[in-house]
Amino acid sequence: MSSGEGSSQPSSKKSRQPKYSRFTQQELPACKPILTPGLVVTTFILVGVIFIPIGLLSLSASERVVEIVDRYDEDCIPSDQEKTAFIQSDKTNKTCVRSLTVPKKMQHPVYIYYQLDNFYQNHRRYVKSRSDKQLRNPENEDLTSPCEPEARIDNKPIVPCGLVAWSLFNDTYGFSVRGMNLSVNKKDIAWDSDKNYKFGSKVYPKNFQQGSLIGGGKLDEKIPLSEQEDLLVWMRTAALPSFRKLYGRIEQDLEANEKITVVIQNNYNAYAFGGKKKLVLSTTTWIGGKNNFLGLGYITIGGLCLFNATTFIVMYLIKPRPCGDPSYLSWNRNPPGN
Amino acid sequence: MTTQQRPLLIPSPRTPGAPELPYTPAYADQLKSISENPKPSSGTGMDINSQVDNLSLPDNITLNSSSQRSNSSYQSRASGRNSMREVSFAGNSVRELNSGELGKKPMRYGSRAESEGLSMSQKEINDEDARFVYINDPVKTNERFEFARNSIRTAKYSIITFLPRNVFEQFHRVAYIYFLVIAILNQLPQLAVFGRGVSVLPLAFVLSVTAVKDAYEDFRRHRSDKIENNRLAWVLVNDNFQQKKWKDIQVGEIIKISANDSLPCDMVLLSTSDPTGVAYVQTINLDGESNLKTRYAKQETQMKNLEKEKISGLIKCEKPNRNIYGFQANMEIDGKRVSLGPSNIVLRGCELKNTRWAIGVAVYAGRETKAMLNSSGAPSKRSRLETQMNREIIILSFFLVALCTIVSVCAGVWLRRHKDELDNMPFYRKKDYSEVEADGNYDDYNYYGYGLEIFFTFLMSVIVFQVMIPISLYISMELVRVGQAYFMIRDTNMYDASSNSRFQCRALNINEDLGQIKYVFSDKTGTLTENKMEFHCASISGVDYNGGTAIDEDEQVGYSAQVDGQVLRPKMKVKVDPQLLSIAKSGKQADQESRVRDFFLALAACNTIVPLTTETADPAVRLVDYQGESPDEQALVYAAAAYGFMLIERTSGHIVIDVQGETHRFNVLGLHEFDSDRKRMSVILGCPDNSVKVFVKGADTSMFSVIDNSLNLDILGATEAHLHSYSSVGLRTLVIGMRELSASEFEQWQSSYETASTALIGRAALLRKVASNVESNLRILGASGIEDKLQQGVPEAIESLRMAGIKVWVLTGDKQETAISIGYSSKLLTTQMTQIVINCKSKESCRKSLDDALIVSQKLVPDSVAAHATGGSSEASPLALIIDGTSLVHILDSELEEQLFQLASRCNVVLCCRVAPLQKAGIVALIKNRTDDMTLAIGDGANDVSMIQMADVGIGISGQEGRQAVMASDFAMGQFRFLVPLLLVHGHWNYQRISYMILYNFYRNAVLVFVLFWYALFTSYTLTTAMTDWSSMLYSIIYTAVPTIVVGILDKDLSRRTLLKYPQLYGAGQREEGYNTTLFWVTMMDTVWQSAAIFFLPVLAYWRSTVDISGLGDLWTLAVVIVVNLHLAMDVLRWYWITHAAIWGSIIATFICVMIIDCLPSLFGYWAFFKIAGSALFWLCLLGITVAALLPRFIVKVFSQYYRPDDILIAREADKFGNLTALRNGEIELNPIFDPPRR
Repeated sequence: MSSGEGSSQPSSKKSRQPKYSRFTQQELPACKPILTPGLVVTTFILVGVIFIPIGLLSLSASERVVEIVDRYDEDCIPSDQEKTAFIQSDKTNKTCVRSLTVPKKMQHPVYIYYQLDNFYQNHRRYVKSRSDKQLRNPENEDLTSPCEPEARIDNKPIVPCGLVAWSLFNDTYGFSVRGMNLSVNKKDIAWDSDKNYKFGSKVYPKNFQQGSLIGGGKLDEKIPLSEQEDLLVWMRTAALPSFRKLYGRIEQDLEANEKITVVIQNNYNAYAFGGKKKLVLSTTTWIGGKNNFLGLGYITIGGLCLFNATTFIVMYLIKPRPCGDPSYLSWNRNPPGN
Repeated sequence: MTTQQRPLLIPSPRTPGAPELPYTPAYADQLKSISENPKPSSGTGMDINSQVDNLSLPDNITLNSSSQRSNSSYQSRASGRNSMREVSFAGNSVRELNSGELGKKPMRYGSRAESEGLSMSQKEINDEDARFVYINDPVKTNERFEFARNSIRTAKYSIITFLPRNVFEQFHRVAYIYFLVIAILNQLPQLAVFGRGVSVLPLAFVLSVTAVKDAYEDFRRHRSDKIENNRLAWVLVNDNFQQKKWKDIQVGEIIKISANDSLPCDMVLLSTSDPTGVAYVQTINLDGESNLKTRYAKQETQMKNLEKEKISGLIKCEKPNRNIYGFQANMEIDGKRVSLGPSNIVLRGCELKNTRWAIGVAVYAGRETKAMLNSSGAPSKRSRLETQMNREIIILSFFLVALCTIVSVCAGVWLRRHKDELDNMPFYRKKDYSEVEADGNYDDYNYYGYGLEIFFTFLMSVIVFQVMIPISLYISMELVRVGQAYFMIRDTNMYDASSNSRFQCRALNINEDLGQIKYVFSDKTGTLTENKMEFHCASISGVDYNGGTAIDEDEQVGYSAQVDGQVLRPKMKVKVDPQLLSIAKSGKQADQESRVRDFFLALAACNTIVPLTTETADPAVRLVDYQGESPDEQALVYAAAAYGFMLIERTSGHIVIDVQGETHRFNVLGLHEFDSDRKRMSVILGCPDNSVKVFVKGADTSMFSVIDNSLNLDILGATEAHLHSYSSVGLRTLVIGMRELSASEFEQWQSSYETASTALIGRAALLRKVASNVESNLRILGASGIEDKLQQGVPEAIESLRMAGIKVWVLTGDKQETAISIGYSSKLLTTQMTQIVINCKSKESCRKSLDDALIVSQKLVPDSVAAHATGGSSEASPLALIIDGTSLVHILDSELEEQLFQLASRCNVVLCCRVAPLQKAGIVALIKNRTDDMTLAIGDGANDVSMIQMADVGIGISGQEGRQAVMASDFAMGQFRFLVPLLLVHGHWNYQRISYMILYNFYRNAVLVFVLFWYALFTSYTLTTAMTDWSSMLYSIIYTAVPTIVVGILDKDLSRRTLLKYPQLYGAGQREEGYNTTLFWVTMMDTVWQSAAIFFLPVLAYWRSTVDISGLGDLWTLAVVIVVNLHLAMDVLRWYWITHAAIWGSIIATFICVMIIDCLPSLFGYWAFFKIAGSALFWLCLLGITVAALLPRFIVKVFSQYYRPDDILIAREADKFGNLTALRNGEIELNPIFDPPRR
């Protein structure tokens, strides 16, 4: 603009003044939370008040769980024999009898788990070594590429292929109390979703465990995969190197101090990698199995919060700072030159 | 705390005007120099080259520097020569001024003013460097060289080239290359951590988003190109003007343009509707200046009737270049050789105005036009925060390498320890038993030995942990900056109604720098002042006429002239001194009266103003609008008109002035334009009484050296005294002189002038010599004082900036007295300040003054205070340093620089007067090179371009002096006072937002990486991921991206009101409180804790349970997303509904995504979420994780906020609970600032 008012421009020129709106001026209504002493103390107390009862509840729930854990891998091998050779041999008698005492009354259903320690079901090689497509649809039985080296045998596809299926756990347990057999319900131990969708009802095992190295359990070729519930349970690979897998349920109460005799077929080779095998009988509550950690954790957090609340209150009483007290502003606090 | 503890705030016991004030004894020579100053002093005269006098007429325009800038930002064209210049620029060599770089400026007068910078005119165009244009013969013109056609292409891509070129350009970013390398690594079968599709997803997402944006922009460019190319113009074909599409115009063709048409290409004018060959063009599209420029057709071609007689000739001109103010060529026509200059060419993009038609020959077309060569993008700078962030990114990449090393070393150890078991291990099974070898051994399957296994593990862990380097951060930052820019542009408080200009963000990537400024370097004219010049007073032959009365709109009609039955009236009214008006009106021939007449005649004639008449509502009255480049000249012409000397018409050959109702015609025989060496301009008029007179006006220093000292010594003395008093009240002064030429003198001048103006070599130097020959032995007519009003709100703005701890330096070309008086009126200087004035003429005296000043300053400002001097507003005796350009010549670029820096850093205010443009940059560099402090330069004129480019943040005022400052700037706005909302409000917000966002993004990605890392320790170091591939890729795209962007754009810690009320809050950014290394490490420690809580709580809760990988993975995914989002929620200061939607929406979206992923039977973790979420344990874990992870942060935050609150927090509390009154009581009570000694 050269002239005084710049009105040499046609006055019809549109004003470029931005339109006012609360949004563009960043003046939208807003909630401005501030950590006032009241809010802080309330928060701490609230968390404490919520967490401690939850912690206590979970702890008591966990305490109510009755659990029998029996490690049998060491004892079920004759001490004079070489472990791997013994377990790998077809000829040896692997039956092993264990006796367990029920510490407290166990209400049915009593869940039977096998527990493996030091077994990395989450190992990358292992996790990838399966073909979910093959498991689902009989037409896909040739899709075995991820399953190497347990993919094909004599160029015929293995169903189910891969290390996961190959290493199927195959110890079996028989239970008896006072001479009477306890029936073990092995129905519905796998997820419904696995039975109904993930594993095909028309996919039958083929060429399974035919290789030169047998990894674990064999499968009945006449039963479709979706009904091989032990396999389904096994194939839900565990997240951590110590895991339990559901074996079955005992649908009757076990009285305290009852002696349970367990006949174990000790077939599974956990000795090759220094794993441990345990048999677990456990009841459940809403929190699941026996685990005090969560309860203790909640109580700790809750306690910490209450402690903080008290500290804060004490500090507030000793040295209060009113909100927005200008004397705390840096330019009021440290006048330059002092 | 009360004011008693702040002794500095107690008003100084010293009273204004007390004799012991304010000069310190060290400056005896300074006092002397003040009194000496107006005298012609050979000492200053010698250094005149390096000074630029803002008082004088057109301001120097350093187009060079602006083209340097655009060159360097114009990637593909940055040539070696330009970068060389850039270097010397950075070295801020003041001497470079002498090399004529500054001499270049817009030329308007064709035959007369082809004076150009030495560097240009000294070289004749070689045949190799020239292009030959045969007029009206496009075929021959294009025979040897195919010149560019006139079709333009601003679009970057075509449909075919789009994909490769766009992708290529995008991969200029290092971040994208990192992305790509990772994605490629993942394609190797040994390293395939993620599914192939998944691993490319983030890169593909980012690339395609950018590609869509680019494609859309390019599509719009294509469309506008098409419209542009198909516009029609009249082109001479077979001796007839025919319409032709713009794109078909060829170099050499003759084109006819009508009034208000745009020019299709750069053309040399041949003839115009005006008999003298004048054409007016508006260059608003080119450089944004709306005033009309005059261009000339050569008389040789003007005479011809182009449609009737065939014209042929040859124009030999420079190769296409981007200098819109330079053009050099000559034309051979009818056997004569005529030289052509910048005033003979009209450029594409301009519009023809006030001229019925113009005919020209196309010389540059299409992409070779100057307009197209100049269309380069906005300058790019990198923000301070981003530079610091890159340092942290390097730390993060060390983290990444460390994590990968740990994992791979552990993996190696594990393999070694289980060496014997690997063959049969069910979950490893190294041997491939399916293929029996002949010798009974088995091959290894996928096993490459320890070394390679470790190496592969390392690469795989890089792939898994890739998000440690937050690539999404770069994209989020861009989005956030766009959002911030949107808010800055839309801020109604930064809209300037008078120039109808919004705030402009020209650089998008330094928003947050605005929150960390410590130094503001401001131009004076047009920045602090309005640059609306108003004639205020005059001293005519020793008599001061200073009684201008305020304009009373109703009564004062102002002067008007009757011409051809029409009343002409100047558009702007000027207040007049009644006494002077009566003298001017009286027809007496007394001495004083004739002096007054000559004086006003000089004002009306000695300029380059073009009068334009505009219609008014009343058909009998027309308004005269004076168009010109210099606002001072405009003010003078309006003043002359008000006193009855009204410029009515100007052509290249004559001017018409209405003198008290009589119309006089003066022949303009010659005009010596203003240049920065002479600092004056002169016009040679042939008066109606056949006398020839030279009128000269210019800066006092340059004028007193050419005024005849033998005449009227008392007048000279009186004028000097008046000048001194004018400049001490802040007026811009000009001295006017004249001389009558005798016939012999005139002839001598004319012949040398002709020779000089047609010279091909050294034209500018010759013309300068001719000018200085004729500008001598002048009789002094008088001096004028022009008021340059302070812009609205400047004192308040400066005060706010000072309270915010920002040091304001004013760099001006004005005289020292003017600068000081403006300093007082703008409250830059207060009477409590001790002024240190350095005003020396040699290096030695500079050294001495600096030494003395340093001693004094150390006495007044002890070191301990100087260290905390950033506090700004309240120091022990505040110091003001006033230094002039001459001293700077000796100081800058020498060992004295360091001393100046020491001194300046102790001063609150620094005022540099009479500085040249490059010195301005030198002063900015003085600070920038020696401290880490952020600098901001603000200016409006071409002379500020160098400083704007030098500073970290450059702000252009879209004001009166054209748009070059704006073009070179990073931000542009209408008024100086907008600096306050810009820095204190938007700068503060931007800084807080971006700095939080960077820290948060580091944290957000690191948490995920650490969770993945912990899990790797439980998978025998094989990097199995519990989270699905999709989740880990969607993490930074969907799960957590939106909230950080929303918070980065919208969150604000303090309200505008509070920030403006307490400018001290700005200190947070200066002290880097929002982002620093400590905060980074604290955040990283928090990250480790949070990731541990997220990971180990479920691990311990689910230890020895039946949980599967996918279920636990889903728990971790959700836990990370919830924790990360709640972490953000904990830090959000203002909850808008958008914030709520973004944060809670992200968590919900994550749940939905996890569910969808677990509903796909083809994926490994089918139904896992529904299974695990069916148990109470899952939800208890989530709740426990959330609280446990965030508890330490919350506790630290609560206690630190409560017992070590920072200013922002207190202000926020006060803001919310409304005890602002309490705050106000504790506020600093500013010293009452005494009225500046203005008038």
